Amino acid sequence: MGVAQGPGYGGSERLTDVHGDAARPWHAAAWLAWAVAATAALQLAPSPLYVALVIALATLMVAVFGGDSPYARAYPVLVGLALVFAVLRVALTALTTHGGPDVLVTLPGATLPDWLGGFTVGSTIEAPVVAQAAYEAFVIVGIVAVFAAANAVIAHHELVQGLPRAFHELGLVVAVGVAFVPTTIRAIHDVREADRLRTGGRPVRRGRLVRQIVPVLERGLEHAITLGESMDSRGFARGGSTPGERAAAWCGAAGLAALGGAFVALVAGESTPALVCIGVGTGAVVGAIALASRGSRRARYRPRRLTRADGGLIAVVALAPVALAGLALAGDDRLAWAASPLRWPALSLPAVLALALLAAPLVRRPAPAPTHDPAAAVRPAAGPVVPA
Amino acid sequence: MTRARPALVYVLVAVVGVAAFLYPFWIPAEALPARAHAADAPLWAALVGGLVVAAITLEVRRGTMNGATVAVLGVLSAASGLLRLVDLPGNNAGIFFLVVLAGAAFGARFGLLLGVSAMAVSAVVTGGIGPWLPFQMLALGAMGAGAGAFDPVARRLGRRGEVVALAAYGWVWGFAYGAVMNLWSWPFLPGDGPTQWRPGLGLTRTLEHYWAYYVATSFAWDAAGALGNAVLILVTGGALLPTLRRVAHRLEPVVELAPPAPVA
Amino acid sequence: MSAITYRDVRFGYPDGPDALRGVDLTVPTGDVVLVVGPSGSGKSTLLRAANGLVPHASGGRFAGSVVTFGRDTRTHAPRALADVIGFVAQDPEAQFVVDRVEHDVAFVLENLGQSDVTMRRRVEEALDALGIAHLRGRSPSSLSGGERQRAAIAGVLAAAPAAIVCDEPTSQLDPQGADDVLAALVRLNADLGTTVLLAEHRLERAAAIAHHAVRVDDGRVVGTGRPGPLLADYPGAPSVTRLGRLLGWDPPPLTVREARARAADPAGLPVPALADDRAHGDGHGDAPVPGPSLVRAEGLRVERGGRPVLHGVDLDVRAGEVVALFGRNGAGKTTLLRALAGLDPPARGSVTTSAAVGCVPQDPNALLFAPTVRREVAETLRLLRRPDPAAVDRWLDALGLTALADRHPRSLSGGERQRVAIAAVAVGGAPVLLLDEPTRGMDAASREALHDAVVTHARAGGAVVLATHDIELAARCATSVVVLGDGDVVASGPARTVLAGSLFAPQVLRVLPPFCTVDEVATALATGGAR
Repeated sequence: MGVAQGPGYGGSERLTDVHGDAARPWHAAAWLAWAVAATAALQLAPSPLYVALVIALATLMVAVFGGDSPYARAYPVLVGLALVFAVLRVALTALTTHGGPDVLVTLPGATLPDWLGGFTVGSTIEAPVVAQAAYEAFVIVGIVAVFAAANAVIAHHELVQGLPRAFHELGLVVAVGVAFVPTTIRAIHDVREADRLRTGGRPVRRGRLVRQIVPVLERGLEHAITLGESMDSRGFARGGSTPGERAAAWCGAAGLAALGGAFVALVAGESTPALVCIGVGTGAVVGAIALASRGSRRARYRPRRLTRADGGLIAVVALAPVALAGLALAGDDRLAWAASPLRWPALSLPAVLALALLAAPLVRRPAPAPTHDPAAAVRPAAGPVVPA
Repeated sequence: MTRARPALVYVLVAVVGVAAFLYPFWIPAEALPARAHAADAPLWAALVGGLVVAAITLEVRRGTMNGATVAVLGVLSAASGLLRLVDLPGNNAGIFFLVVLAGAAFGARFGLLLGVSAMAVSAVVTGGIGPWLPFQMLALGAMGAGAGAFDPVARRLGRRGEVVALAAYGWVWGFAYGAVMNLWSWPFLPGDGPTQWRPGLGLTRTLEHYWAYYVATSFAWDAAGALGNAVLILVTGGALLPTLRRVAHRLEPVVELAPPAPVA
Repeated sequence: MSAITYRDVRFGYPDGPDALRGVDLTVPTGDVVLVVGPSGSGKSTLLRAANGLVPHASGGRFAGSVVTFGRDTRTHAPRALADVIGFVAQDPEAQFVVDRVEHDVAFVLENLGQSDVTMRRRVEEALDALGIAHLRGRSPSSLSGGERQRAAIAGVLAAAPAAIVCDEPTSQLDPQGADDVLAALVRLNADLGTTVLLAEHRLERAAAIAHHAVRVDDGRVVGTGRPGPLLADYPGAPSVTRLGRLLGWDPPPLTVREARARAADPAGLPVPALADDRAHGDGHGDAPVPGPSLVRAEGLRVERGGRPVLHGVDLDVRAGEVVALFGRNGAGKTTLLRALAGLDPPARGSVTTSAAVGCVPQDPNALLFAPTVRREVAETLRLLRRPDPAAVDRWLDALGLTALADRHPRSLSGGERQRVAIAAVAVGGAPVLLLDEPTRGMDAASREALHDAVVTHARAGGAVVLATHDIELAARCATSVVVLGDGDVVASGPARTVLAGSLFAPQVLRVLPPFCTVDEVATALATGGAR
């Protein structure tokens, strides 16, 4: 074919997708690396001041890069949920763990029967216990905040598209599912309204769930059948069992076996062989993914590739946990904190500098969201309806 | 030998997955060098969980995945991911009951895939991507696969009996899912308290501590969820199972080709 | 060389009766071929066999052979034919894999493993060929129906197929969207030589673009040939074609232009009485006198999201009336129905109802959940706690559903489902029925059944309000017409008066004024002949 009137398209134009670049200056993979590095830093430097610093950084990232996406709006909700969870955990620990100095308050207590653990609930509440529990729970709040922030700033379709080709089908399922969410929400609304219309506006509660769920699901399944036909017609299907695929399958099985070996080694108390086994298993599964991906003939349209800047960001943020690990090896005892004896946590400047590396994404700011060209977005006013 | 591999992979997945879930119960103290680093264990477990999810995805997608399978999976994932947000009786029950019913209607392999993908869609929609995700995927996948494996037994009980049996299955899983997912976060706060995890406590003591923790934090919550599961399956199962089964033949279409007619 | 050759194709769906019973058909390369036939005749199956969806995606029993550009579908699954033949389905919403037009168009190229440069070029070409390049970054869910359907066509065109199969591509669209889609198909055929195999119910537009037509009934091909002669006695033919047949014009016209040329010629009107009637006839002398007002809207203003959708609409629906609401998409038709049904509260003005109002949603699938048609209809009365099997039977009969009473609603065609939804609402006994786009996706038989039911309901003292683009149906049953434009009533009055002076006129009115329908002409011929 050749479209006669089409402009000539040379081979020199950009073959990668640039739409999102201005609004989202960093690749999804770079943000994932940021989240992993921040989590590792939290584990290495769990002192409350550092955790607070990381949470502040995460909040800053959402403010700068999140825009007004629903994920950005979900950030405070997720962090709030984590705080509630943390408070519950602290209360539970304080009420059930006893002993030690600095009794804050003494409550009436009760000892539970043996089948519930046989411990005392209530009674004395000690300050170090509360402080220690709060300290540990705060780290979890930090981890949740880091990932909630990553979710808020990541372009999820980039994440799905960036999956190795071996996971193409699963990625496609997720893409189809996510694309279908607004349709489903509308279907639920339509069905509820139709149900009310049926009885002239009077809601009938009895059996309503079935009357509403069945049409939503039926519509969804019909939609799926049409979509499946459309996909098949457009060349979708997995290729047969190639040698690469078979090799990948065996490689994956070997990886699982090595992971099993790691657990055996751990039970035996041998942590070094366990680590080796985990390493081998990880390598084998990653190899299997690579083998299976290479066997795929599928191409990818305008993928967003990692740029040199993305690579630089990944390297910089990865430095943060590495530097903290170095500080820990060098004997910096201010990274962690202990509740007993109770004292104010100390800060060390090198650790703060290491954590400051996590602010690296700020070197690029998102451009303001492009406004739709109204002339292009609005259809030319449809004329009166004239039958042929 | 090649025939045996899928079975081998599923067995390994089951063993390694269960071991990774249940590590607080068996891991010896000396395997974790310092107490401060015992709290890293959940992240290691998440790594192993992610690898298990990867390996099982590689294995499961190996049959033919046609357009209809992908589309039905996507649509059901969207529906169950959304139902998780809708206020239904019991917490989170929405995502479970559809996975159980679809697993029963389409079989264990589909149930496994649906559990994994429904959790993935839900995570993307709600911004819930994090180190807990592999565990949620594995747990929901196991629930769906189990429903597929359990259904042939349930179906012998007749149409009504099948729904009741599946409702009971969903009720049990309501607790199991809560208990299993607690295990991901519980070891984050190792300590000496009677509800806390400490490496090397021994199986019996760990179980006691966990039981106390579970009763104190999750039991009421999970009981409501489990009841919600069971009620939803009871109420909708009779209508939804036939609906789902009517498209089952599209996932693995059976074609009978008659010999071509002689050319006239 | 022929593009697609069917040879004695027989096919049955799993656990179903035979859908094709020995089809022999040749689709010539480079032509537009139109397939017509009633719902359930096997049209869709026939089309799906062209690229192997039948039997490979559907499963089932298949005999005979289909050869598409030299490839036998027995051995080639749809994915192995994607580079020579594309398939576009009826529902414009359900054909998108990725949530962005441009990436969805590229899906087929990704599957075929094309190089980056080729993909980039082909996507641009496909977007240009369908005129949707400005929509590339949009989500399909934000597009209008016509835009979506064109994006779906671009999604198969990107592979540069030699043929495109379209299964009722316009039946879910408004007239504007349908025009856009058919114009795009004509352009592809003319410019690129793409063979187009097309099935349609509404033929006012489609018949004019086809080179050949194929009639299908009961799983067999019952006729092939030029569209004009072949469609002359087809129940779903355009009004001008049926008019031409009535007046003995040969070949029967397919468009208003052709028909006017014939009517301008005095020899084209065989009965002189007809010319008399044209001089001083006023058509309906027997319009029923409307009864008391059932629903009245006064100064009705409805806002959505703070923006007015209707401003100051007055409407009075009286017993015995059939009111047709016209207007382009977004003019406020659906909002007006919703306001009359009490779903959208008025921001100003009022809606006064002196009788119960039943409203049928645009999409019948939102309603259907029961395992059989009869139980679906009975469910409404069960919910209202006054079961009445006689009423159920009456409405099943009124809408021509008696033969389908024990079928699963989901196994029915779109038009049949629409009728089930109408029956399920109407059985509740509301005197006023509000129908939103009831003829979407309906074949001739369904439209006929709907027409009869609407007329009967109005004669029995009820009232019906139709929001529709279907001018031909409205011309036959409406007593008054209201035209909405941008939230205002721009014209209203007796059907004939409003239709006569507007571009909304039905085909017959534009050829032989003052007649509105073929039936009127036939009556005039009969009485004129007697005179």
